[in-house]
This record gives sequence, structure tokens and C-alpha cells, in this order.
Amino acid sequence: MSLLTVSKLTKRYGRGGKTLAAVDDVSFHVEPGETLALAGPSGSGKSTIARLVLRLIEPDGGGIEFEGDDFLALRGAPLRVRRARLQMVFQDPLAAFNPRATVARVLDDPLRIHGVASRSERPRRIAALLERVGLAAGLAPRAIHEISGGQRQRVAIARAIATKPSLIVLDEAVSALDVSVRGQILDLLLDLQHQERIAYLFISHDLGVVRAIAHRVILLDGGRIAESGDARTVIDAPQSAVGKALVAAAPRLDRSRP
Amino acid sequence: MTALASIRDLSVTYRGDGIEVTALKNITIDLHAGERLAIIGESGSGKSTLALAIAGLLPLSSKIEGSIEWFSLPTLDAVERRTPKSHSGQNLTPLLGRDIGFVFQDPSASLDPVMTIGKQIAEVARTHLGLTWQQAYAKARTLLERVRLPDPDSALRAFPHQLSGGQKQRVAIAAAIVAGPKLLIADEATSALDTIVQAEIVVLIRRLVAEDGMTLLFISHDIALAAELAERIAVFRHGQLVELGKTAQMIDAPAQAYTRALLDAHIGLDAQPLLNRSGLNG
Repeated sequence: MSLLTVSKLTKRYGRGGKTLAAVDDVSFHVEPGETLALAGPSGSGKSTIARLVLRLIEPDGGGIEFEGDDFLALRGAPLRVRRARLQMVFQDPLAAFNPRATVARVLDDPLRIHGVASRSERPRRIAALLERVGLAAGLAPRAIHEISGGQRQRVAIARAIATKPSLIVLDEAVSALDVSVRGQILDLLLDLQHQERIAYLFISHDLGVVRAIAHRVILLDGGRIAESGDARTVIDAPQSAVGKALVAAAPRLDRSRP
Repeated sequence: MTALASIRDLSVTYRGDGIEVTALKNITIDLHAGERLAIIGESGSGKSTLALAIAGLLPLSSKIEGSIEWFSLPTLDAVERRTPKSHSGQNLTPLLGRDIGFVFQDPSASLDPVMTIGKQIAEVARTHLGLTWQQAYAKARTLLERVRLPDPDSALRAFPHQLSGGQKQRVAIAAAIVAGPKLLIADEATSALDTIVQAEIVVLIRRLVAEDGMTLLFISHDIALAAELAERIAVFRHGQLVELGKTAQMIDAPAQAYTRALLDAHIGLDAQPLLNRSGLNG
């Protein structure tokens, strides 16, 4: 059984009296421990799909099954329990966190809210989470706005894994990072996936990164699936118009040295 | 090679709350007239500070040392500007908008949300070229055609929110070049756009710079994108110039380890997958 099954998902927005389908009849599945990438140009619907899967917005049609439950039908306590298994990391962690909170506070919240650890146990858990994402435990009392962008994204990942999720939605999670930091964060994500068997729904406009990190890719265009399949197969020889346009537009570094 | 400007020992320090942060340290670079020069670096490298220093846009509180000497520019009298003093003492100071066009990362922040597109471009033409409003609007329409905005007549009357991000950046470019500047500075001008629109804007910038014989200063964090557009690349790190050279030489035989590290960090369509495929089944 798939970890996540999305069937005929549709989301419409009204704009100037007209209705626009941001997501139009989209179906896909994510297997445990797998990275599925959603890629496409601006307005292709990839971030709307992420928000629908996270239930930050409600769809106009279609279904979402997560860990065997009808995810859209869950309410109250059962929904909260299930949400611990489905986490998210966004592009800009500074926008995602209260900037005046400390690193410890940001990590304490999910542990407390989801009852992962008792009050006395939590400082030790926070230190372990920081260590797991490659940060010093001494960072805990620092304010979120004081630490670097790369450190903040590591804290965001630590918060995401605090509740032992089976799926993390990564929405342009490495897009704003410096290239030297980006490689380290991708390595961390791959290591976590390998160790904990976490699946990723990896949303990105960068086909190079998608090709390097994803097992499978779905290329979106105007809210619909244009093409999907093995990430390297699709990106090395795209068949759809949007796939060809995305590949043609990717900056190339033609290095003649080995 | 004719020089457009000579930057000598330029240092910039930002001051505030009793803290001093040195953003640029002893930078010496010549801008060649008509060249496409890319400034590459990560966060905190000083690349945007250099762009602001050249454009005279540094905050009043900043401390500027060194000099930027300009050649073949109209002389300005007593214009209050934030540029380093010229060695020559001839007071050749470029005027932003007329001699230097500046395109920022976020076109929504550069454009006035309650002014029509036509007026925003026409205003620049009127100010710097001494045109009447009617002439300035005609000029604005020509510019909207040159930046390939579909339906330029409707676009003249449109407001920024009615355009897509890529279209807004085309308008910002039109406003930047309407007065015929010698130097166009693009500071991460394509970084907020998706890959397809980014490629279109790079093609547009390349064409406009060639047609008007402008010098281009292309500020970017993306060394691959810079290599596609620029003839020379300067790599910055921690406020210092690490290396400067012709694009092919910088890509194929960089002298500095940091340049090599930036090149190695690029994840292109031909990169080795990072993925350990056994992770899925294992």
C-alpha cells in the first residue's frame, strides 16, 4: 500500500469572475522512503498541491489517502495525531518561525504539542535533534534571527523530524540557500531518508536538483500532469512541451576539464 | 580596451547600532566599455554592495573609502550623491537613471503599484531626456515593444499587479534603459523568476545590451547562469575579490580553490545523482 495516494485532486480559484483550476485532476502516489519531485514553472500548481496535501487548504474535488486513512475526512484529535506523521519544510525558515523564538523553543513546540517527550525529557531530545541535523547543542538558546540561513534550515528539518514523520513535504526547501550550503542540506536529507525511511514530496523549479535527489518526478503545467516517471529518464529525454522548455532553460556549465 | 570606470581600493563599511560591518575590502576592478561582466558570490560576499556603490545607492550611514573614476560621462554640477570621490577631480559623476540603469531582484518592489506602467517609464524619459509627456509616452511604448511585452498599447495603461512576474521584470528593464544609460546593472534580476522566464529575461538582457552598446554588470549567485551571459567573471567572497578572469578560463581553469568549490557545487542536468538508490529498497 502506498504511503500517500492522491486521486483526481482539483482546486479552483475565482479570479475576475472567471474560475481558474490551479490544480486540475491530479493523481499520484508516494511510496515509503521514496522521493517524488513535483516540478514545473510558476503557476503550474506545484505549491498548491503541497498545500492541499498538508491540508492547509481544502480541495474542490478528489481524495487524499495517507497511511491508509481518508486524510480529508479526519477531524480533531485523529487529524492532529496523523499530522505528526506528515511534516513540512518551506523555502524561507525565517518566515516559517517566530523570529524572536529561540532554537530550543522552536523544537520544544512539536515535542510538547504532539506529546513526544515529557517536560524533563525534552531538553535531552532537543540536543539529540540538533545533533541529528549536524548542529551543536549549544545553539539551543540562540534566537532564530541570529543564526545563519543554512543553520535555520537545519533547525526547520530538526523540527520536521521531531515527531517521527513518514512523509515530509519540502517546498523549495533548498532554493534560497547558498550553493555551498545547499549541497550539505541535500546530503542531510538523503541521510535522514536512508536512516529513517522518510518519504519526501520534493517541490522545486530546479531540474538539476530534482534529477540529483528524486526517484521519480511529475512535471506540471497549468495545474495538470504533463509527464511523469523515473527522474533521470524524464529529465534526460523529456517528451512534453513543458519538460522540453524546462530542460532547455536550465543554465549549463560547460566545463572542458575532467 | 576602453575603460568605462576604474574602481580603486574600494572599501565599504556599514554602520549602525554601534556596530561596523565591512562589506567590501580593497576592491580594484576596471569596467571595460561594452563588456558583460558578472559578479558572482554567496550571501555576504559583497556583490550587491559593489552594485550599490557603483550606482551611488549606498546608505548615507555607510563609510566609503577608495575611488571610482568614470570616463566619457557627462559632467554634473553639485549633485548630492553617494559615490566615492573621483581621483581626477573632474567630477565625472554618473547619474542613476540617465547614465546607469539598475534592475533589482524583485520587480514588484521597484515598480509603483498605483502608477500605470506607461507613466513609470515615461517619467524616467521625461526627467532625463527632457521630453514632453506625449513624447515620453511614445518613447515608453517603443520600450515596451523592445522588451517584447505582448500588446504594448494595453500595457501602457496597465498597473503592475496586472502583469506576471516576468512581465514586471521586462517593465523594470524598460524603465532602466529608457534614458539610454551606458551601464546596465542587473542585481539578481532573474533570481525570483522560474527557470523558463529566467532564460527569457537573460536572452532579453543580452539582446538589449548588444543593441544599445551598453556595458552590463550582472550580479548573481549562479555561476552557470553568469557563464552563459558574461565575457568576464569576478568571484567575490567575504567582501573580497577572489578571482577575476575571462569566462572560459574561470570555468575551465580557475586559479582559486573557492572558484573550483563554487563550480563543483553547481548541480546541473549532467550531475552525478546524489541519491543512493538502495535507500528505496534497502
